[in-house]
Amino acid sequence: MHFDELIGHLGQHTVDGLSKGAIYALIALGYTLVYGVLRLINFAHSEVFMVGTFAVLILWNQLGVENNPPVGQAILFLVLGLVVAAAASGGTALALERVAYRPLRRKNAPPLIFLITAIGLSLVFVELFGQVLPKLLGGALPDVFGRPRQIVGMPTIIQQETLFTIGNTAITNIQLIVFIAAVAMMALLDWFINRTRYGRGVRAVAQNPETAALMGVNQERVIMLIFVLGGIMAGAAALLWSMRFGFTQNSIGFVLGLKAFTAAVLGGIGNLRGALLGGLFLGIVEVYGATLFASNWEDVIAFVVLIVVLMFRPTGLLGESLGRARA
Amino acid sequence: MTLLELENVAVTYGRIEALHGISLTVNEGEVVALIGANGAGKTTTMRAISGTRSLASGKITFNGEDISKLRADLRVVRGLCQSPEGRQIFPGMTVMENLDMGAYTRRDSAGIAADLDRVLTLFPRLAERRKQAGGTLSGGEQQMLAVGRALMSRPKLLLLDEPSMGLAPLVIRQIFDIITEINQQGTTILLVEQNAQQALSRAHRGYVLETGRS
Repeated sequence: MHFDELIGHLGQHTVDGLSKGAIYALIALGYTLVYGVLRLINFAHSEVFMVGTFAVLILWNQLGVENNPPVGQAILFLVLGLVVAAAASGGTALALERVAYRPLRRKNAPPLIFLITAIGLSLVFVELFGQVLPKLLGGALPDVFGRPRQIVGMPTIIQQETLFTIGNTAITNIQLIVFIAAVAMMALLDWFINRTRYGRGVRAVAQNPETAALMGVNQERVIMLIFVLGGIMAGAAALLWSMRFGFTQNSIGFVLGLKAFTAAVLGGIGNLRGALLGGLFLGIVEVYGATLFASNWEDVIAFVVLIVVLMFRPTGLLGESLGRARA
Repeated sequence: MTLLELENVAVTYGRIEALHGISLTVNEGEVVALIGANGAGKTTTMRAISGTRSLASGKITFNGEDISKLRADLRVVRGLCQSPEGRQIFPGMTVMENLDMGAYTRRDSAGIAADLDRVLTLFPRLAERRKQAGGTLSGGEQQMLAVGRALMSRPKLLLLDEPSMGLAPLVIRQIFDIITEINQQGTTILLVEQNAQQALSRAHRGYVLETGRS
């Protein structure tokens, strides 16, 4: 146990945890949106994120991005990366819904069928990206896709450096960008759901689908919308991940998706602000746990905390709100 | 002039036939009551008209158009709006947001504002509780909100499913007074009720539903 280290550098570990948790939170929104409206846990959402990281990878390779580009170019690469990743992830999420879930809904399939379909889709994507993509793109991207199932590196867009120091807490440029970008995306989504007409339609379907239809809400359109929105958030997470960690692999989504799902449950699944809180909380807990014990313990700590929190608050920290008190 | 016509409408739930071919008409300007015991198929009839249940057979004509296969949300655009059984307020939305939901398909902000004024004049209680969450209202207030919400779509035909359910006699009187007023302002109403006496005293005509037949 390294209490002295944790307490002595509490600020530093908190900052590290927040920037880690911000990415969890962005991915968690996809789980929470779909669950809030459909009561479906879209386990394939982790692969929506994975597709986003590959979209960034392919984009940067096609543009011939080198390590440490000048600032102007770096911003351009990041913005283009955001657009491409959001489009790829949003499109993937929408395709999943149209091709897999919608036909099941039309047949009134029981919830278990959706769950198995989601898990199956997730495996299909992982294998597809591990086996087929390298062969398809092998010629175009020899160095990157040379060996399947390996970690694929990406160019460093921004060199991590300390921006400023408060006490003994150093905050880096990358941490700041990740945190601000993630919170900004979430604020945008929160505004969209709570303040716009389409957002009101989403909340209506979440709270009472049949009555929403009686008010003229097209439920199918709302469902497409939430998949796309969740996908866009996962795409943003994919860009931030690529910028911060500089690698991806076909199985990248598995652990991250599981963590993000945990964050969603921790905050109260179906609750957008809960996903933010759950993500940040989980990030902090992991970093604290890794400091107290050892870094290979962080997953153990994360899930023990999840179980303990759910024992006392079974609906998560904030409870469910998108579909509150659904009849 | 006939506004709504049901011809031999049948609805099934799985293998169970809930409606065995009912026919009824509602003329423009009328209040028509559809009464019957529990389980007679009143709510199923309303669902069939609103489009949240599909027909096994038969035909529904609204304003001269065959709407039998039209999606529920498009029927609202055509001028059909329902205040459903059990009120079905959106509990997590404020009174104002619930009313805005009624105008979901509309884009004419001036017309929406005018209808909001009208609804808040009809139901002053709702004006007092604008910012309150729908789920925290009393049963009577929720019923007013459900009727007001449906009116916000400016329907040609207002469908009211059991507006008196679970309310105190005094509140039932109030609700029915307002229903009469809404009709006098020019909205055609199809009313489903278990409270036959109250409903028939307010309606121009009535139909009795006996376990799936009218």
